Formats: sequence, structure tokens, C-alpha cells
Amino acid sequence: MQVVQPTRGPILLVEDNPDDVALTLRAFRKNNIANPIIVARDGAEALEWLFCEGPFADRDASEAPSVILLDLKLPRLSGLEVLERIRADERTKLHRVVILTSSKEEDDLTASYRLQANSYIRKPVDFDEFIHAVGQIGLYWLILNQPPPRV
Amino acid sequence: MLRSLALLATAVAVRFVVRSGRRRRRHARVEHLLTTLEHAEELAGVGFWEMDVRSGALKWSEGLHAIYGTDPASGAPDRVAFFEMVHPDDRRAMRDVFRRLSASETVVDITFRIFRRGELRWLQARAERKVDRRLGTDHFLGVTRDITEEHRKTEEIESHAHELEEEVRRRTAQLDATNRELEAFSYSVSHDLRTPLRSIDGFSQALLEDYGDKFDADGRDYLQRVRAATQRMGRLIDDLLALSRVSRSEMQARPVDLSALAQQALQELREQQPERQVECVVAPGLTATGDPTLLGMVLHNLLGNAWKYTSRHSTARVEFGAREENGQREFFVRDDGAGFDPAHAGKLFAVFQRLHRVDEFEGTGVGLATVARIVHRHGGDVRAEGAVERGATFYFTLPGERAR
Ligand SMILES: Nc1ncnc2c1ncn2[C@@H]1O[C@H](COP(=O)(O)OP(=O)(O)OP(=O)(O)O)[C@@H](O)[C@H]1O
Ligand SMILES: [Mg+2]
Repeated sequence: MQVVQPTRGPILLVEDNPDDVALTLRAFRKNNIANPIIVARDGAEALEWLFCEGPFADRDASEAPSVILLDLKLPRLSGLEVLERIRADERTKLHRVVILTSSKEEDDLTASYRLQANSYIRKPVDFDEFIHAVGQIGLYWLILNQPPPRV
Repeated sequence: MLRSLALLATAVAVRFVVRSGRRRRRHARVEHLLTTLEHAEELAGVGFWEMDVRSGALKWSEGLHAIYGTDPASGAPDRVAFFEMVHPDDRRAMRDVFRRLSASETVVDITFRIFRRGELRWLQARAERKVDRRLGTDHFLGVTRDITEEHRKTEEIESHAHELEEEVRRRTAQLDATNRELEAFSYSVSHDLRTPLRSIDGFSQALLEDYGDKFDADGRDYLQRVRAATQRMGRLIDDLLALSRVSRSEMQARPVDLSALAQQALQELREQQPERQVECVVAPGLTATGDPTLLGMVLHNLLGNAWKYTSRHSTARVEFGAREENGQREFFVRDDGAGFDPAHAGKLFAVFQRLHRVDEFEGTGVGLATVARIVHRHGGDVRAEGAVERGATFYFTLPGERAR
């Protein structure tokens, strides 16, 4: 029998709204997701962490995020721009990116998938539904899904 | 027109030739022919000229004098006098006509302007060089017509068309700007307006879960109400966005199987509430031309309403069909549920207008506004019939579909 081990890498949450950060962390807790969670408060900070730049220059570069949860509407660098940069760089282009956002406008969906987002989840107003959605993300991306082999 | 002018020109050439010829015996017949030609010339509003290439002798018909406003008694003008009458900007083109006539026996056309006693006129002319080896003659022949009136009308039409084009361009630009604004507005609504709602609902839930024991029953009830209202607001925003998307989205025109869409909508309703006893009747083979997605929304909303407003009855009947009214095909969705007071039927299709309380039947009051907007975008109309506790029928037309 093979024991399925959850992917242990940290989760990178890119989210500017502190309420949403708190609620997302709560939803992780409710779903017993134990991965470390790194919160980037805007797109630029997310890229600095991913590429080990600025305040994250000393970060262990071999540590890849198990999944990136990316809001679309961020100050300065938008979520789509962040996604574009992730896909354009050898070091990050295979990272799993789940768009987690308010809108279900067609334009947002199309643009996200065009930039090869792995999933698109709309944050529901109903918090019970949100907890459920985060549980699904954890189940799928941290447990069921086989990550690409390390290079 | 030009071809017949050329024929007349030839005929008039004959006239000149005949006049200068010697066949006096046939003089009477010739004179008759000439008079006829002069009439024809007058009728057609044309004039003719002829120039003997060798001698340079030039002849103008009466009609041509009338066009130029010159006196027939003083004969054809000389070259200098003629060019004086031609608009300065057209003189070079006119000189070119003569050059081309001298060079070969081709037909040459020109549209040009003259001043007829100081008044600007537009003329159209065709000229040709005719060499008759048998008679030993070599002539330039020409026919000229005054086209000032036509020209003015064409210009008027053109300027009108131009104005219309300008107007269309201006309105399109305006519409584009409005659409872009609407896009931006909806985008912001869908992102920003929902965000605080998530906080309200999320933290209310956190309070209930983590501090539930610190509230008494009333306190917990209030928090539940906060959550319910928040979620309702979220639904309102979503419905409004869907409504605005109906106006923003591009529309296709394709054959659509309405019967199939209706079946599908009813199937979904049945799956959501399998315990309900609803007899569903869908007339087979009803098709229309329109946007499949939008027409699907119409049926979803109407059948959803029929399903919802019959829910207080133990059994119900919901029907989708079509009928002929004044030679026009009308589709309808009918139910035998709660109905409504027909006095308020006019309000039904306005946004947020409801004829039932939320505690009777839940809803936001956007569904029928969406239906009306879609049907109107298809060039059709909607109307409703109903009576309290006697059911309701909603009719709509889709003129893309010809009544059969
Ligand atoms: N089949 C029906 N029978 C009786 N009343 C109806 C029916 N359909 C619509 N109505 C009345 O018309 C009102 C407007 O309908 P509409 O579909 O726009 O809103 P709603 O059903 O209340 O909410 P929602 O936006 O969720 O559709 C309803 O509130 C109801 O009072
Ligand atoms: Mg409705």
C-alpha cells in the first residue's frame, strides 16, 4: 500500500485585503491544512519572494511553493501580471497557480486561463461555501495532484 | 446616355455636312430633318459643335449657344473667347481634350465648369474626330450637356450621406465610451462590492462559531440575520451583474431549439427539488432565431418562476408552448400557481419590482427584468397575464422567427 503524503511546501497566498487574509487563514485551519503559509500583500512582494529578491534574498531557493493562491485585483502589479511573470520564468513556470478572486467576469476567466492558470475559483460571499472551496483546493492541489518532478 | 448623345452628335454632324453640301434638290427634306434635330436637341438639353480640322472653321448648334448663354447670331466663339468661358481650373483638362482629339480617332469625355454670363455651370461633353475618306472630310465633333442640376443633387446627396456618416461615427464613439464606462463599472462592482460582504459574512460566522456560547439565542439570531442579509446582498449584486451582462454581451443570431432549452431548464429544477410534484408540458419542435445563451436565460427565468410560484401547491402544472396571435407567433410559459394581481402586471418587468414578499417566495426581482431586456434585444415583446391563486402566463415574441 502506498501512503499518500500531502505536499509539504509552503502555500503562497497573494492577497492585499487583510480581512481576506484572515478569513483565508481561518479556512485553511478549518480544513486542517498544515502547510506553512506565506502571505504576500501585493504582486511585487509575491515576485520578490518567488525570485528570492529584496527582503527575501536569503530565502532557500530550492523551496518551491506547493501552490500559489493569487488574487487578481492587487495594487500596483495585478494578479494577471504576476501570473505572466511566473509563466515567463524558467524557475517558476511549472508552479501551480490557483486564481482566487471576487469576480467571475468572463474577461478575467479568459485572461487567467490564457496565461495558464491551473484553476480559477471565485470567492463566494457565503463563508461556509468559502471554507468548502478552500478545502477542495487543499484536497486537490496538496494531496491528490502529483506535482511535476523537481529539476 | 452618353451613347445616345454620341448618336445625336453624329446626326447633327450630318446636318452640318448636308448644309454645306450641294444636294439642293433634297433641300426641303433636309430642312425638315434639321428642324426635328433642333427640337431633339432642345428636348435633350444638349448642344453640338463641329470643327473642320483643316480650315479650323467652327460651328455651334443653337442648343450649344443656349447652354453657354451666347448669341447664335454672332456665331461660334473663337478659341480665345471659348477658353475665357471655361473655369480656369478646368482649362488645362480642356486643352488636353483637343490634344487627344488631334492625336487619334478616339472618343474623349470631359466634365468641366464654365461661367455662363458669370454663373457657374457644370457641363459634360463627349467629342470625337471623324475622318470620312469618301467625302474627304476631317472633323472634330462634340456634344455637350448641362449637368448643373444633377451635379447639385449629387453633391447634396453626398453631403447628406457625409453628414449621416459623421453622425453615425459620433454616436458610435459616444456609445463606445458609454460601453467602456459600463464595463469598468461592472468590473469594479463585481470585484469591489462583494469584498466587504465576504468580510461581514465571514467574521459573523467566526463569531458564531468561536464565541457562540457568549451570545444568547437573540444574539445568535441577530448574527444569523446579518449573514442572511449579507448573502442576499451578494445575490442581488450577482443578479444585477447578470442583467448588465445581458446588455453588454455580443449577440449571436442562430437557430435555437427552444423546446430543448425548456426541457433542460425543467430537468435542472426537478433535480434541485425532486420531491415536488410538477407536471411539465413542453410543446415539441419550437425553434427561434437568436442568441442561444440569452434565450436559455429567458426560459430559465420564466420556468424558474413558474416552478417557484407554484411551490405552495401540492401539485402543479408548468407548460411551455406557442400560439398564433394576429399572425404572429407567441411563445408562452404558463403555470397554475399563486398568480398575481393583474392590476400590478405593469410593474413585473421592472428591476427589483416584486409582487410577493420575500417570506412568501424568495427572490430579488431581477429575473423578469432580465427576460424583458433579452427579448427586447431580439426585437420582441413580453407581457404577462395572471390572477391571484389562478396561475400566471408569460408571453414573448421573437420576430426573428417568422410565423408559420
Ligand atoms: N409565475 C409567476 N407567478 C406569479 N407571480 C410571478 C410569476 N413570475 C413572476 N412573478 C412575480 O413577478 C415578480 C418579479 O419576478 P422576477 O422573476 O423578476 O423576480 P423574482 O422571481 O422575485 O426574483 P429573481 O430575481 O430571483 O428571479 C415576482 O416577485 C413575482 O411577484
Ligand atoms: Mg424570478
